Amino acid sequence: MGMTITEKIIARAVGKEQVKVGDFVQANVDKLYIKDLRFSKKEDARGLYGVLLEVLQSMGTDRVWDAKKIITNLDEQPARTERRTEGQEMARKFTREQGSILYEGEEGGIGHNVIVEHGHVKPGEFIVGADSHTCTYGALGAFATGIGFTETVGVLATGKIWLKVPLAIRFELRGRPGPCVVGKDIVLWIAGKIGYEGAINRTLEYTGAGIDVLSIESRLTLCNMAVEMIAVNAIIPPDDRTVSYMREVSDGHFKLYQSDADAEYEQSHVVDLSRIDPQVAAPEYPSNAHPVGDFRGLKIHQGFIGTCTNGRIEDLRMAAEILRGRKVRPGVRLIITPASFMAYGLAEKEGLMEIFRQANATVTSSECGLCVRPSLAAGEVCISSGNRNYRGRMGPKESSVFLSNAATVAASTVTGEITDPREFL
Amino acid sequence: MQGLVIRGRIWKFGDSIDNGNIDGVMEGVDPEFKNKVAPGDILVAGKFFGMGASDEHAPRSLKQAGIAAVVADSVSNIYQRTLINIGLPAMECPGITSIVQEGDEIEIDFTSGEVRNLRNGQSRNGDRLPGLALDVLQQGGLIPYLKGEFTRKKTPVRG
Repeated sequence: MGMTITEKIIARAVGKEQVKVGDFVQANVDKLYIKDLRFSKKEDARGLYGVLLEVLQSMGTDRVWDAKKIITNLDEQPARTERRTEGQEMARKFTREQGSILYEGEEGGIGHNVIVEHGHVKPGEFIVGADSHTCTYGALGAFATGIGFTETVGVLATGKIWLKVPLAIRFELRGRPGPCVVGKDIVLWIAGKIGYEGAINRTLEYTGAGIDVLSIESRLTLCNMAVEMIAVNAIIPPDDRTVSYMREVSDGHFKLYQSDADAEYEQSHVVDLSRIDPQVAAPEYPSNAHPVGDFRGLKIHQGFIGTCTNGRIEDLRMAAEILRGRKVRPGVRLIITPASFMAYGLAEKEGLMEIFRQANATVTSSECGLCVRPSLAAGEVCISSGNRNYRGRMGPKESSVFLSNAATVAASTVTGEITDPREFL
Repeated sequence: MQGLVIRGRIWKFGDSIDNGNIDGVMEGVDPEFKNKVAPGDILVAGKFFGMGASDEHAPRSLKQAGIAAVVADSVSNIYQRTLINIGLPAMECPGITSIVQEGDEIEIDFTSGEVRNLRNGQSRNGDRLPGLALDVLQQGGLIPYLKGEFTRKKTPVRG
């Protein structure tokens, strides 16, 4: 019996020739990502580092398992709450004392983007992260999944984690996406098809000739939103584009895995990319997705372009193409938060920032931003390039969030209502 | 590793209960639940238990309320790991909600994976937890397990 790419990576991390669906296994972790907030005292009064030091002491050491494999990032810059300052102070202390890696300031942005751009995510690796969107990294052919507070302590102390080998769902992508259709539209369409819980405890594997034409940015979005279908992980088997991207950002040492032809899948679906319209997900689930045309005329108050889902350079370019020579409608606000300072700098160099200024958009520094911070009043509607539109996600529970790609957000802020970006091409 | 069998009275909940609604001892579903539940009681839920964010505040509230075990038709992967790692036995057992009513007494055998309704004798088979998870639960969670591991074995946990 063949294995999927996910099973192969897990087997390698477990030190076995083969693993099977449903096996509980203990894996050796290649990389651990921790966001600043996990260092705060919210989940435990001793804080992550406090609990860890107690565990390490009982093991007769004061050192983590492998400092060079631990990456921390400050997701909010500057910190605006006491919880966040507490978390950031401890993240810096941890980094200083243990000799691990920390990104902040001009090197930083949103952790999930920063660690990809700095080459820490490599094909074939087994990665865990103390944030639910860690699944993003599967876009580069790695196994990556989110873990909780206590598990993070366990990994820091031992470098190991136990988990159940997941069932696999395969999406074979065919054809070419039309104009203004990117990874976001494809993943919203898929979520709409299989539903909010459609991938519970499964691995999502995206394959097929349709993958070839998708940018790395679009692939990252496809995997990022797997957790919105409660998947354990999502993965795209590496191809030439993956390899050339990895040569650009890393030392070029990595191992490529592919699924066997006789690997077993619980479900297989075929997706014709040429038939997907730009999608909009209405409140209150990301899977509540429909073609943008279904929402024509729906009034909005705010547009938001950013987040680990769609704040990358591809998204900024798409938004700029719509906004060039146009203005955000008076009374509507557009906030643009590049996902990393690397994307910010590139946007500046390409002249995108000037287009945003001319359009009266507000550009902020790189961080998680409005995705996790209230910016809406009761009754207000936001169209966001983010990943979650739960009730009250961006303000009081009487506010609402629609999800779309960055071009749709930009077009909607020009007209003041949800608008198909293809009308502006 | 020893066997782990838990017996207790159940409280039954529905499908798709997310982390936010679990916080504060199921406050989002039943604000009175925290006053009704007694230590040793078992929580039975439907499909997709523990969806959404991975913040540990919510599952810890169940443990603090004295809930002895969680069994659900399906449990999100990260949630099952978190519950076990904080020392609260959790099992995925498809069909469990179809054989129990609120107030029934059930017996869960985490080693064999069998869940039995002691009122009507019906049973269903769920996850058989691996030895490591049982060891973690036996010690009251991952943190006490790791703290004890070095002293017990006098060998490094790493490697």
